[in-house]
Amino acid sequence: MDLSRRGFLQAAALTAAASGLTVACGNGSGSAGSKNGKNLTLWYWGGALSDKVVAEAKTHFSGQVKLTAASIGGDFKQKLTTTLAAGSSVPDITGIKGEDMASFLPNASRFLDLNDLGFKEISSKYLDWKTKLARSEDGKQIGFPIDIGPTALFYRADLFDEAGLPTDPDKVAAQAGTWEDYFALGTELRKKVPGTYLVNNISSVFTIAVGQGTERFIDRNNRFIGDQDHIRTAWNTAIRPYTLGLDAKINDNTWNAAIGKSLTTELGAAWHALDIEQAAPDTKGKWRVCATPGGPANQGGSYLALPKQCRNPEEAFKIISWILSPENDARGFADAAIFPAAPAAYSMPAMTGGDPFFGGQKVIEVFGPAAKAIPASYEAPADAAVMAPYFTELTSIEAKGKKPEDAWKDAVAQARQIARRQGVK
Amino acid sequence: MLSHWRQYLAISPFFVVFGVFSFFPVFYSLYLAFQRWDGMGTMEFVGLQQFRFLWTDPVFWMSIRNTLVIWVLSTVPTLFGALVLATLLHSVRRFKGFYRIALYLPNVTSIVAVSIFFGAVFSNNFGLVNAILGTVGISPVPWLSNPWLIKLVIALLMTWMWTGYNMIIYLAGLQAIPTQIYEAAKLDGAGPVRTFFQITMPIMRPIILFTVIISTINGLQSFSEPQVLFGSNAANPNLGGPGQAGLTTLLYFYQSAFVNNDYGYGAAMVWAFFVLIMVLVVVNWRLVQRGRKS
Repeated sequence: MDLSRRGFLQAAALTAAASGLTVACGNGSGSAGSKNGKNLTLWYWGGALSDKVVAEAKTHFSGQVKLTAASIGGDFKQKLTTTLAAGSSVPDITGIKGEDMASFLPNASRFLDLNDLGFKEISSKYLDWKTKLARSEDGKQIGFPIDIGPTALFYRADLFDEAGLPTDPDKVAAQAGTWEDYFALGTELRKKVPGTYLVNNISSVFTIAVGQGTERFIDRNNRFIGDQDHIRTAWNTAIRPYTLGLDAKINDNTWNAAIGKSLTTELGAAWHALDIEQAAPDTKGKWRVCATPGGPANQGGSYLALPKQCRNPEEAFKIISWILSPENDARGFADAAIFPAAPAAYSMPAMTGGDPFFGGQKVIEVFGPAAKAIPASYEAPADAAVMAPYFTELTSIEAKGKKPEDAWKDAVAQARQIARRQGVK
Repeated sequence: MLSHWRQYLAISPFFVVFGVFSFFPVFYSLYLAFQRWDGMGTMEFVGLQQFRFLWTDPVFWMSIRNTLVIWVLSTVPTLFGALVLATLLHSVRRFKGFYRIALYLPNVTSIVAVSIFFGAVFSNNFGLVNAILGTVGISPVPWLSNPWLIKLVIALLMTWMWTGYNMIIYLAGLQAIPTQIYEAAKLDGAGPVRTFFQITMPIMRPIILFTVIISTINGLQSFSEPQVLFGSNAANPNLGGPGQAGLTTLLYFYQSAFVNNDYGYGAAMVWAFFVLIMVLVVVNWRLVQRGRKS
């Protein structure tokens, strides 16, 4: 390229101006000085909130503040952690994934206490167990619940019919009330419809079985309890479908191709319905959903939080309580399969309709009661890290045929070591 | 020196960027290796505790073993294949440019795209390879769940990506060898194989040494391949697939630091790994040099 001196100078000046502008913008959102700013930024990830509701919030509050919503891709938690640690360009409102909430709680001082802003008055509208999971030890409420993930059992009613099993959700739920009943049903199904499997992998059973209890891997006194009976029971439950030959052992990304074909039942959260629908659109109308064997558990579900740097806490809180009001929550379910954390939404028309993918079944009748019955459990900051080796060992059983007893010993040893590294006694 | 300030100013952007984004983080990570830090809260000085944990962590040692196996499985065929391809290409008369581009292309393709593609091709239940094997009556091979096959697939992916890169370097080396030497060899009655081993190889030694060291550093840093291949596994993200057979050290580092929020431990891990890479580079260097002296 032939660049004249003047051209070069112009380009250089423009570049400098542009970088100066970027820096200025960057600083703009970072300054914590004024607490009644007119510009608010909202960070969330694709699918965390209904895009329609967010767009409406912008116009709804345009008189008071200018709301800029950014859908952040990639590793959301990583980006948020980095930004909070750096202390500049922090969003005024941010999403936090349910599974990451526990690791943010030790740093609750980085966020505003929503109770001070009026969450206390409206908290009864939201599920108590979900709200509790975003409360620090000293009672600071840092997360405003967006959604939850009550689990259920999805099954192919037409194949159940073929096998001479009940197809009605209530009857299936009754016959698969406990895990043992469910596996017995699966054994029968496999006899009649050869080549079908009950669960995609045993890790998914383990996740739900652990979630059905009130204790996890670390207790409130910061002690490792991952070797105790409640975890051992969940582990044994997970091993059962493997020994019975009901485990499809899908540990790679071929789930999409198996669901609805060789995989005739599926355990998962409410939002999982959308995954099944997208992976197996030609099985539309053949699926039904019923209560999880052994009781409901929660998987996923997120929060909105206000970082300490928020430039207008009052307005920001108004915005999030508007976006997450039961009415808008119900719309979020219709738009993006986000299952509301506000029980009042469950009786709204947006949620009580029949779902054509499930043959017109009113799925809220399964998920609604499940949402309210989820046991409240304490989740320690290191919980997710400590849980990982159990998954590893379960996949080792499936992939290498490792002896379950050896796998259990290795999982506990490994989990204990990770716990110790993270400062657990 | 000061009289050259304009020149220094002109080259300064690189050094400023390098200092801020490379030099400082490197030494900050050394500092971090002696702390316990969750990324946001206060740091706690723990001395050598992180390294003690590392020493007794079976997963860390397993990740080193995985990395070394994958490295050997990929580097040997990569360098050998590159040398063969370069020799072939050197003697080719027509379409030289086309071959060069075609063989180099895999290296500039995004690792993520390639990994997704390999994941689909080698998928256990519905992959292309198993489908082809099926047509000739071979039962499906568990490419992505058997511990050895997992490593083989990752190594194959890396071989595919890096053969062309090394080939270009070898080709440059081959072209620098004066043709008179070959003519002399021909006059003395040496065949192509003898010429290759007695003339090409010795002259190419420094270039081979360079590629061996670059491949050591590159191969030991394998991260994206297993991460993408086994990333979508929801129950077990970033853990290197079934049985952690694809867990390389850098993937384990990523998981410890960025998934478990254990930054101090991650820092300790990469420093220990740095020492290991240095040792291996020296060993390689000595091995390739030794032949030269004798």
